[in-house]
Amino acid sequence: MRMNDCDARRPASPALLEVEGVFKCFGGVQALTDISFEVAPGRIHGLIGPNGAGKTTLFNLVSGVFRPDRGGIRFQGRAIDGRPSHERVRQGIARTFQNVELFGSMSVLENVLVGRHVRTRCGFLGAMTRLPWVGREERAAREAAWRLLEFVGLAGQAMTTSRELPFGWQRLLEIARALAAEPRLLLLDEPAAGLNAVESERLGDLILQIRERGVTVLLVEHDMGLTMRVCDRIVVLDQGRLLAQGTPRQIQCHPQVLAAYLGGAVCPG
Amino acid sequence: MSLKPLLPYLVLAAAVVLTGLLVDNFYALQVLIFIGINTLLALGLNMLMGYAGQISLGHAAFYGLGAYASGVLTVHCQWSPWPALAVALALAAAVAWLVGLPTLRLSGYYLGMGTLGFGMIVFIVFREGGALTGGASGLVGIPPLTLGGVDLSDPQRYFFLVWTVVLGFMLLCRRLIDSRVGRALRAIHDSEQAARAVGVDTHRFKLQVFVLSAVMAALGGFLYAHLIGFISPESFNFMVSVRLVTMVVIGGMASVWGALLGAGLLTLLPEWLHAFADFEMIVYGAILIGVMIFLPQGLTRGLIDAYERLRRQAPGISSAP
Repeated sequence: MRMNDCDARRPASPALLEVEGVFKCFGGVQALTDISFEVAPGRIHGLIGPNGAGKTTLFNLVSGVFRPDRGGIRFQGRAIDGRPSHERVRQGIARTFQNVELFGSMSVLENVLVGRHVRTRCGFLGAMTRLPWVGREERAAREAAWRLLEFVGLAGQAMTTSRELPFGWQRLLEIARALAAEPRLLLLDEPAAGLNAVESERLGDLILQIRERGVTVLLVEHDMGLTMRVCDRIVVLDQGRLLAQGTPRQIQCHPQVLAAYLGGAVCPG
Repeated sequence: MSLKPLLPYLVLAAAVVLTGLLVDNFYALQVLIFIGINTLLALGLNMLMGYAGQISLGHAAFYGLGAYASGVLTVHCQWSPWPALAVALALAAAVAWLVGLPTLRLSGYYLGMGTLGFGMIVFIVFREGGALTGGASGLVGIPPLTLGGVDLSDPQRYFFLVWTVVLGFMLLCRRLIDSRVGRALRAIHDSEQAARAVGVDTHRFKLQVFVLSAVMAALGGFLYAHLIGFISPESFNFMVSVRLVTMVVIGGMASVWGALLGAGLLTLLPEWLHAFADFEMIVYGAILIGVMIFLPQGLTRGLIDAYERLRRQAPGISSAP
């Protein structure tokens, strides 16, 4: 509860991510209409809305899968529209996928090592010549990967082939892989989908720990318990439009949100 | 660094030295040299297909480019073979880069079609090249290699040259696979979308591995041209590209040793099957189908699995009453 309220005390610092008047349409379907919001650094931001509200589309715009039709997205004050995905990762935006996209044939450790890609630089010649700096870089990458596996609790599975992991662990691995890029902003697309209650609870703790590491989180999630527990701020989308934004308490009491989304949940207090 | 991962390579190196010293049959050495050249080609193609997951149905074109570039420069311009080799490799790299730039944006069947078309164009250029390439009848009089005054036309010496190159590239490829680059390539194979999302510049890596495999094929072409002294377009036609793909698949995708096994089997089979005369192609096809049905992961994986099964069974047998 204390964490949810801290947002109201502090004035907003310069935004990490600014979404400004973004439109996106697929064929005849208007997926996003005039969406504007800001993500302040060091917070956990929730992005909620019914299915088809445009949450994943918005994620894909921020991570560079699509370009907005109109409007712009700025990261750390710089426009990033038109920059390819891999460059955005280098700048500090990492993501996970709704349907978990691991490198199935590779081990758990190797998946996290691929996550280190943008923080290492050995190329074809470096790999073939194996100069001393390449060995140092590789060792450092492995150490970082092991630390991340310990952080998400998968160090015991490091050598397992990732597609053989139970689903809940695959989710954790995907988060570890994203963190390996040392992002400033982490986009989590429905990380609790397919998890049981205990796993969801642990995931909530993990997301809070990620914030403690100084990583800003943008979270799309259907699990309202989890969202309300961890988020500092919440943005509500409905049918491609921005319906409301505010603290979890404000959102829970917002009449339009209650009508459109929560189906008449009782406002606490 | 531990020596254990190097052990198989040391064994292979020892086998190469022994074979080279003991075998003095011209025909046998010639076959072994061809296995070496094919291993080099399959190894390069395996980096592209087995690791990065990109198919090329036109790889014989790069093989031919290496052979023809060096052949034309040494025959028509009287160049020494070594500078000609440098030009041949650079040419193959440049062509691969230009061809890969648009085609590697394709995937699956479309990439296959694109590279297939490229292979056919290059084949036609060789055949219709007039006096420059010798046309359909080929280019004759390609000089043998000498290195520091040593004549390499002796089959034993050529054998050592080719297999030193093969061993070197096997080690280089192994290093590449066990690195940031190799992981990025395998990531592209598993999920291109996820690879991009973790920051891999997928297009650039695909292009680079395509260029690498083309350069290795061109080197194979150079070694072939200066071994035989004569090249004709038919040595670099579509069937050769298909045979290279078959070597990779039969030997085992994503395996350095698979390239060696696949190249070995597909080079030796036609030699053995001469006995079947008219039925040669039928037996050849049947063996390939058999391997694919019973060892779908390729020879390397199949042999390893068979070994593991034997090892598991062994204690069971000894403890039986």
